[in-house]
Amino acid sequence: MFNFIARRLLQIPVVLFVLSLIIMGLMQLLSPQQRAAAFVTSDKQIENLDLIIEKYHLDEGFIVQYKLWAKEVLHGNLGFSRISKEPVLTTIRKRLPASTELALAAFVPIVLVGIWLGTIAATHRDGLIDQTLRVVAIIGWSLPTFVVAIWLVAWVYGGLGWFGIGRLPNNLLIELASGDFHRYTGMYTIDGLLNGRLDITYEALKRLVLPATALVIVVSAGIMRVMRSSMLDELGKDYVRTARAKGLPEKAVIYKHARRNALIPVITMAGPMLGRMIGGIVVIELIFNFPGLGEWAAKAALQLDVTTLLAFVMLIGLIMAVANLLVDIAYVIVDPRIRYE
Amino acid sequence: MNPQEMKPEREPWYRSKTFKRFRRNPLAIVGALLLLAFVLVAFMAPAITAPQLASIPAARPCLRDLGIKRSEVMDTLRNPLSPVFWKATLAPPESCYNIPRDGFSPLPKPPSEKHPMGVSGGGYDVMYGLVWGTRTAFYVGFLVVGITLSIGIVVGGLAGFIGGAVDNFIMRVTDVMLSFPRLVFVMIIAVIFGSGLTTVMLAMAVVGWAGYARFFRGDILRTKAQEFVDAARALGASPMRVFAKHVFPNAIGTLLILASMDVGSIVLAASGFSFLGLGAPVGYADWGQMISFARDYILGSAQGTPFDYWYVSVYPSLMLVLFGLAWNLLGDAVRDALDPKS
Repeated sequence: MFNFIARRLLQIPVVLFVLSLIIMGLMQLLSPQQRAAAFVTSDKQIENLDLIIEKYHLDEGFIVQYKLWAKEVLHGNLGFSRISKEPVLTTIRKRLPASTELALAAFVPIVLVGIWLGTIAATHRDGLIDQTLRVVAIIGWSLPTFVVAIWLVAWVYGGLGWFGIGRLPNNLLIELASGDFHRYTGMYTIDGLLNGRLDITYEALKRLVLPATALVIVVSAGIMRVMRSSMLDELGKDYVRTARAKGLPEKAVIYKHARRNALIPVITMAGPMLGRMIGGIVVIELIFNFPGLGEWAAKAALQLDVTTLLAFVMLIGLIMAVANLLVDIAYVIVDPRIRYE
Repeated sequence: MNPQEMKPEREPWYRSKTFKRFRRNPLAIVGALLLLAFVLVAFMAPAITAPQLASIPAARPCLRDLGIKRSEVMDTLRNPLSPVFWKATLAPPESCYNIPRDGFSPLPKPPSEKHPMGVSGGGYDVMYGLVWGTRTAFYVGFLVVGITLSIGIVVGGLAGFIGGAVDNFIMRVTDVMLSFPRLVFVMIIAVIFGSGLTTVMLAMAVVGWAGYARFFRGDILRTKAQEFVDAARALGASPMRVFAKHVFPNAIGTLLILASMDVGSIVLAASGFSFLGLGAPVGYADWGQMISFARDYILGSAQGTPFDYWYVSVYPSLMLVLFGLAWNLLGDAVRDALDPKS
């Protein structure tokens, strides 16, 4: 197991290397001036693009450029973001906790709702509940993220005045910027607790409800369908019949025996699901005015800020690679028969 | 004996068990009817929007390209005997896809006789955009599915046919493509090639093939393991012939059906990019682009009045969701019907 993890960890740089080759290959389609922006670190430098082109040999061949770019990146210089007007790394450090907080707040309900509804649908196969859930899932699958987000903002926030948008109310943000509030994690819900400021935790949680709900609506339908069909598979197997024949209560059969095995295909879906979730987070952050990485990247794409977008892509690549490793480890926890050699 | 006589009778598709299962599913019927309605709206777009074309002065470029005057609109676009009707229906000029602007007021106007579904900010007639947007939706959906499917069949076919290291390599690439968020790819391509509907379609085609490739490869491997393939090989057929005559035709059916059901989700995704501003330009008849108007008035005209401009976002959202729903209802029923376990 440890060998396996170590080997997979070593694979991550390889994946990132391939990804960076692809990105740099695509970058060659841009003009040297546009590419020079990736090396700009301050506002003053923007005026001297020609110097940068010369300095970094941006009008030369691909290999020369790749070497130089890789050297910069390995030294921690990901470039200067035009959108946030600061080095890319600084912005990532500020915004990553916000997106992580949102992703975590959505992830747990997504998985719980998906598994729960899938189990119910399977145990009530073809009954009223199953049919209803089926229609609900198809509708959920047909709702585009941005439509859900817009309606939540308009109806729940605008109409009812519940919850909120953004990350924190303005007066708290100003207070945080000036006061002695210590940022341990950058996630306001947790930092609020650590600083003994329950009001901040409360306000931050309040503003996570709507975006997380939007994600749950959009993502959990897929998990539910997979859970239902894999649960039906398991319930038809011999060991379930044996368990019932032994006189085990139905609850124990379903929750202790069948469901545990039915989770394996669901874990397989975690990769694509995370992809869908990241796509959703970008749109949702933009609509809910939530200052995370997604909002930053979406604005960068609209304003053709190549540097920012490149960093974002590399970061997503890293996240996906780590997530896939976690998925493989989760297999072993759920199913001890799986061994990686 | 003539080998032709040995062919077993094949039952026609409409009598097959799969089709029967599909037909008996009420959800499938709902989906099919919804889809039929969308096809009709798309087909009749010029006739449906004839009043707008006749009454809004800004529709002039479309009328000019159709070669008619404003006074002639109602007589030609709703008359199947006129050649202009068929030109507008079958091959409308590109200028007709731009929503004609009735004034330039930044504030939306509620539904009226002239504008049955209201006017969004900037003077764009909502109904016109919705009706012509149906055409955009079908166009985007079919084109993207067609291209991705072609790539997927070639790549998946190569992986399944050659096998070994090639298969392994292709499947690793597929894994990466599948796990990477589509939105991120589209953003990169939009930045490099500039935003636009073509860019979005290109990006989706570049990204979308991976799922089809993997599915097709799986079906090829399954078909390859069947006895009739062994029989063909034992009779001395070359690998190329075995693949082209026996494996390929038997493996491709399911993929074609399943892929055709993806039109809906493709359109939903593309509309998301248009909403973000990466896709169709402002004023183009595209549902996602139209919903982006709603962002400006999402909270209404004043505090606590979020429903003042409901028509700007409700109608396009409804079209989009119903369109996706129609395809997903069909797709769900098809998947069920094809599943031998059910």
